[in-house]
Amino acid sequence: MALVAGVTVSSLAVTALPATAATDPGVTSSEIVLGMQLPQSGPASPGYNKVDDAARAYFDYVNSKGGIYGRKVRLEVRDDQYKAGLTVSSASSLINKDKVFAFIGSIGTQTHISVISDINRRGIPDLFVNSGYSGFYTNPQTYPTTFAGLGTYVVESKIVGKYIKDTYPTKKVGILYQTDDFGRNALQGFTTAGLSFEAKKTAVNFIAGTQGSIGLASQLTALKANGVEIVIIAAVASATAIAVATAAQLGYKPDKWVVTSVGADATTFQTILGSKGVTPAVSAGMLAGIISASHAPSPGDTTDEYVAAFKKINDDFNKGPDKRWDNNVLQGMNIAYMATEALFGTGSNLTRKGIISYIENNGSKMSSAALSPLGYSRTSHEAFTAFWIGAYDGATVLKPITGTRVLYTTDSGTGPVTVSNYMRPALPADAIAKGA
Amino acid sequence: MKKITIRKFIATLGASALIVGGTLTLIPSANAADPVVETTTGKLANGATYLMKVPARFNGTFFIWNHGFRPSYPYPSYTVPAGVEELTPYSVNLKADVTAQMLKAGYGVASYDRVSTGGLHGWNTTDGVEMLKDMVDTAHAKYTTIKKVVVYGSSGAAPVINQFIEKYPDKADAVGLMAGLTTPSAAIQSLCDYFYLLSVFADPTIKGCAAFGVAKGVAGHMAALGEFAKAGALLSGWSKDLGSLPLAYPAPLATSGIPQRSALLLSGLIVGLPTKSAHMDGISTSAVIAEQSINATVAILENSQDALGTGTLAGQAIGEITGPGFYDNTKTDWSALLSAADSGRYNLGLSGDDAIAGMLGVLKMMPRVKGDPAAVAKFKALDKINYTSDKPTILLSNDADRLVFAGNSALYVSNAQASYKARLAKYKAGTGTKPVWNTLALYALTPETYTKYTDKGLPDFTAAPAVSGVGHQSFTEAQMMGWVKLLAQSAKTGKAPSQKFVGSAIFAKIDPNLNTDPDFLPNLLKYKS
Repeated sequence: MALVAGVTVSSLAVTALPATAATDPGVTSSEIVLGMQLPQSGPASPGYNKVDDAARAYFDYVNSKGGIYGRKVRLEVRDDQYKAGLTVSSASSLINKDKVFAFIGSIGTQTHISVISDINRRGIPDLFVNSGYSGFYTNPQTYPTTFAGLGTYVVESKIVGKYIKDTYPTKKVGILYQTDDFGRNALQGFTTAGLSFEAKKTAVNFIAGTQGSIGLASQLTALKANGVEIVIIAAVASATAIAVATAAQLGYKPDKWVVTSVGADATTFQTILGSKGVTPAVSAGMLAGIISASHAPSPGDTTDEYVAAFKKINDDFNKGPDKRWDNNVLQGMNIAYMATEALFGTGSNLTRKGIISYIENNGSKMSSAALSPLGYSRTSHEAFTAFWIGAYDGATVLKPITGTRVLYTTDSGTGPVTVSNYMRPALPADAIAKGA
Repeated sequence: MKKITIRKFIATLGASALIVGGTLTLIPSANAADPVVETTTGKLANGATYLMKVPARFNGTFFIWNHGFRPSYPYPSYTVPAGVEELTPYSVNLKADVTAQMLKAGYGVASYDRVSTGGLHGWNTTDGVEMLKDMVDTAHAKYTTIKKVVVYGSSGAAPVINQFIEKYPDKADAVGLMAGLTTPSAAIQSLCDYFYLLSVFADPTIKGCAAFGVAKGVAGHMAALGEFAKAGALLSGWSKDLGSLPLAYPAPLATSGIPQRSALLLSGLIVGLPTKSAHMDGISTSAVIAEQSINATVAILENSQDALGTGTLAGQAIGEITGPGFYDNTKTDWSALLSAADSGRYNLGLSGDDAIAGMLGVLKMMPRVKGDPAAVAKFKALDKINYTSDKPTILLSNDADRLVFAGNSALYVSNAQASYKARLAKYKAGTGTKPVWNTLALYALTPETYTKYTDKGLPDFTAAPAVSGVGHQSFTEAQMMGWVKLLAQSAKTGKAPSQKFVGSAIFAKIDPNLNTDPDFLPNLLKYKS
């Protein structure tokens, strides 16, 4: 008797325990399917919603040059609106409907934590995640398929923390941070660097996601009341925008604002303030002088060969609704550049295990637009291990703070901060890295 | 037959109504008219009533249904069921079973009231195993055209069926477990944890599982329900203010400003309650209910009523077997029960890292419940099986089942896989028979979004619940009949479909909300034993 129409007894094959597929999903003779999850809409989307179009532009460029061993790269993207519930369902869709070979560049710590275990359980490569939370990368035994696409918040904060300690030894330093993995990671880095804070006086926090509703006035009032002269913000860009605007309303003018790179994205900063009626000229003025750090060249540095090449590819191939060149576009293209390099480097016999092995064994040799080396190895899946420190100018461009860019490096533990002599490999002539 | 609800019971205690949607229907409405040719009723050897129906065009496959746990004693608004109340799988959401459909498909159907000698229900697994055997033998004696027998059931019947098939492997050809409890101690331990956490954060007078089994019979059940009433009062209050008031307990947190709903969310996450419910999808937002703040909390609130209510009665019944003191949390690591993923994902609802650390820190220091070692040992050993059955076994669970969590099915599969591997290793080493992997786990998922909000931005609990994936024993007709037909097919061939089958286009046609990911895993239980 048929079970349902069309099903016969013989089609109900019994296997032993689930066997490994002969070929991995998402790879055919003509195509490689990659997946990305990010907030394309909703309050957390400004700036981030350009990353996928930028990545796709780079892949379209690669495809126009013949693809990767004859395979075209197709990027499938899901909008999770920065809501973890949607991250879970959209990951399921990418895995089961789109049958992606790998995830690349997924954005968001608090959202990615909802899917990282399941993605790893299934053995799906989870490449170049746009989160600096060190807990995802420092122990590959926990998350063997996940690789960072940013420097960790600990690394960045240690480097910036040492700079603050050395440069402003007599100034009172305070921190405003969001109480989640991101904020905790950053706080860890700053304290490891030797900065000390007093809870509720020089260290104030807010629950991530509430910055819009609470306005951060009580936190900034506390810092002001306690004489904080250097204010560190370890939070997302919307919190930075709100904090700076609120401080202005309170008449609070710290000597310096220091903002972690995730929270200092100029596009997001200006877009959020713009939605509150602040003109670009005014928000640019608010951003001017803010100290931050970066692992990449400034997107405005057109003398940089990677910036110049990626900018041209963006101009020619980006079909997104907003392709204005900025940090987010640079990052999106760099993620795609690195993914292409890893896909080439793995070889034409492309497997999930193969690409993971390639990255672990060749991480230090891989190139990217970043000025920092990559830290991928079998014992660490951290990405950029070096940052340079800059300050925003009046045109929202981050410039080296001393005029000369100095790269500093450290680890996500308690290792010292030292100057890095890393020299970034030259960009290939066709802007496509074909393996280390 | 009456439909009894825990809500009515709460009302009799004077507490205000809980959130709509949390009804626990212990006795289903009458079956639809069945186009049968022959009906047989009678009593098993121990006096349990049985009912059998066989269609004129009986195809030889006979299904014997086993209903879930039932309390033994009357209490306000509850009448102990008499006679066969469920003949085939029954959907609480649809208020209907599939008897007519099964008879139309040519299957014979039977069930029995699972009443032990003396007329008591309760936790009577051992009796249930012999009743089921008697039922199978009775069916064969009456209907000599039976070729294949499927034993299937729901919820608390799973331990009966699992023990039955290991003890009497030749008496059935396929096994079906719907929303089945795998290891009672694993499930009840979490329920007891929930009572304990409520006692810490909301009502220090709650004794929870420490009060179960102290007295037996009617008195014991009333005492247990008194504990549930205390929890019910909390749920009632939170349904009005969404837990916005600050914690009053325990004393170290009384001035923390942490809202009560954060403690409720923490408690629900620690015990593994689903963060989706009949009306809360965990995604949809309004100005009042932002997804990453209290959306999951409201889901846990909605799920709590049935979980606590039924768990109370099951816990009391178990306590009468093990003796009082079966719950012990002296070694429980509360921090370990809150996953990093949940801590991160629900950080806002939990009021941030400082609040999480504060609540867990205080929880760690609170006096623990020390059980009676003998009772604890009996509790842990309750209804153990060896997972040695090679009969086709198909499980069906709701991903957001608020009573018997879907992790029970994952635990069954995991234990069965471990047993299979061990037996295979022995076989390859030259001992034992070659084991057969013959298990398939099906999950009904929720639609991605289904929450409705009122004009005031509050969840609309009067709206229709999610069509799939939520509730206990609430499946669509297509899901139930799909499961039935897979069981019939498996009984015939001796082989359950492989897990890969759920990824097939054919399987996808059964019901749009059945999981089609062969590698899908629901949230796992917090305990394995």
